[in-house]
Amino acid sequence: MYLSDMPEPWRSRLVNQPMPEFDGTPCAGGPPLEDRRISLITTAGLHLHGDRPFIPGRADWRVIPDDADLAELVTSHLATNFDRIGMMSDINTVFPIDRLRELVAAGTVGATAARHFGFMGSTPPTAYADSIKALADDMKHDGVGGVVLAGV
Amino acid sequence: MCTRAVCGLAHYLEREGIPTTLIGAIRDHVALLRPPRALVVPFELGRPFGAPDAPEFQRRVLRDVLALLERTDGPILVDFPDGPPAPQAGLECWTPPPDLACPERAPRDPVELTAAVRSEIARLRPLRDRWVRDHGSRRFDRLTGLDLDRIVALIVAYTRDQSIANPLPQYGLDRTVKFATDDLKHFYYQAALSRPGRITDIELDDWFFGSTLSGEMLLRLRAALLASDDPNLQRFGETSFVPSHQAHRQPSQ
Repeated sequence: MYLSDMPEPWRSRLVNQPMPEFDGTPCAGGPPLEDRRISLITTAGLHLHGDRPFIPGRADWRVIPDDADLAELVTSHLATNFDRIGMMSDINTVFPIDRLRELVAAGTVGATAARHFGFMGSTPPTAYADSIKALADDMKHDGVGGVVLAGV
Repeated sequence: MCTRAVCGLAHYLEREGIPTTLIGAIRDHVALLRPPRALVVPFELGRPFGAPDAPEFQRRVLRDVLALLERTDGPILVDFPDGPPAPQAGLECWTPPPDLACPERAPRDPVELTAAVRSEIARLRPLRDRWVRDHGSRRFDRLTGLDLDRIVALIVAYTRDQSIANPLPQYGLDRTVKFATDDLKHFYYQAALSRPGRITDIELDDWFFGSTLSGEMLLRLRAALLASDDPNLQRFGETSFVPSHQAHRQPSQ
């Protein structure tokens, strides 16, 4: 559904939820896109079937290997107020791995990263303030030159 | 919530030196949180790349959000100029699966209700199997690993007693029930989506909660939890099973 279609009081609850504060906006640079290795982050609660479902309140994430069988992806996002038809019909609606591969093949993007990542977007982002360093270290190990975060 | 999440994650990753770019659907959240690079899209919640089975459009959105990576003058907020592509011509009229029992006639007796819902599932299974076959064996109805007959029994039992034995003790009982209801809904969604025609998520839930015994069963579950003395169960019931656009529905008497 569109945000404008969400009835009250749910719409106001979503729009007026508590927001974290950040000091400044760091903005890391890098080489041209065609020389970068790109990793995807989806907040659709995606993970491989057999991996642990997301539990509310736990600031963790799931690895989606670049060569994962897309038919094995499931979602354990807790929210009920977003469209699921899109991702059920075509996973690229939330996790555009096929589109990214096409841009790599066309030379627009350097490469796909070895690992992509599933999050459950209902978790308050401040919960990740300390743990995210481990994810960044993994990305540096993979030579990631840029991340596309897709919120649902 | 997810726009807030990606904005926060982008800040934290950039602090660690990882360049980020993001897609968000709630413009006010992006403007307030000022992530390094953001493309705000006028799409439905749940569709950051616009629409399913629209590779050209998805590629355009991805190209636009990636292009922001080469800029370092953040915070950058760019509005994607277009709405999602229109549905294919001839796919405007979705018709629901036929021959389902009327939810107003859902039995009150738990044993009878369990049997009636299982019968409904059996009627829908060929449609769901067709959808899975047509979508590369992808299945969204297997979070718990429990078969649907057991899931129905679990939901009916939990509606009456929120301290029943947990078949998946690695989770809390509330999570087991939530995952079980998601498996059930996803089974129905897949069956419904095997019918030709275009349907929105609101129309899909109108059908599920307004025209199926399983929808009626979940409305009863929500009502039972809302009537609980335990505020945690009330909160669980309010937010976990029934989307906001179906919240007006009450179970049949």
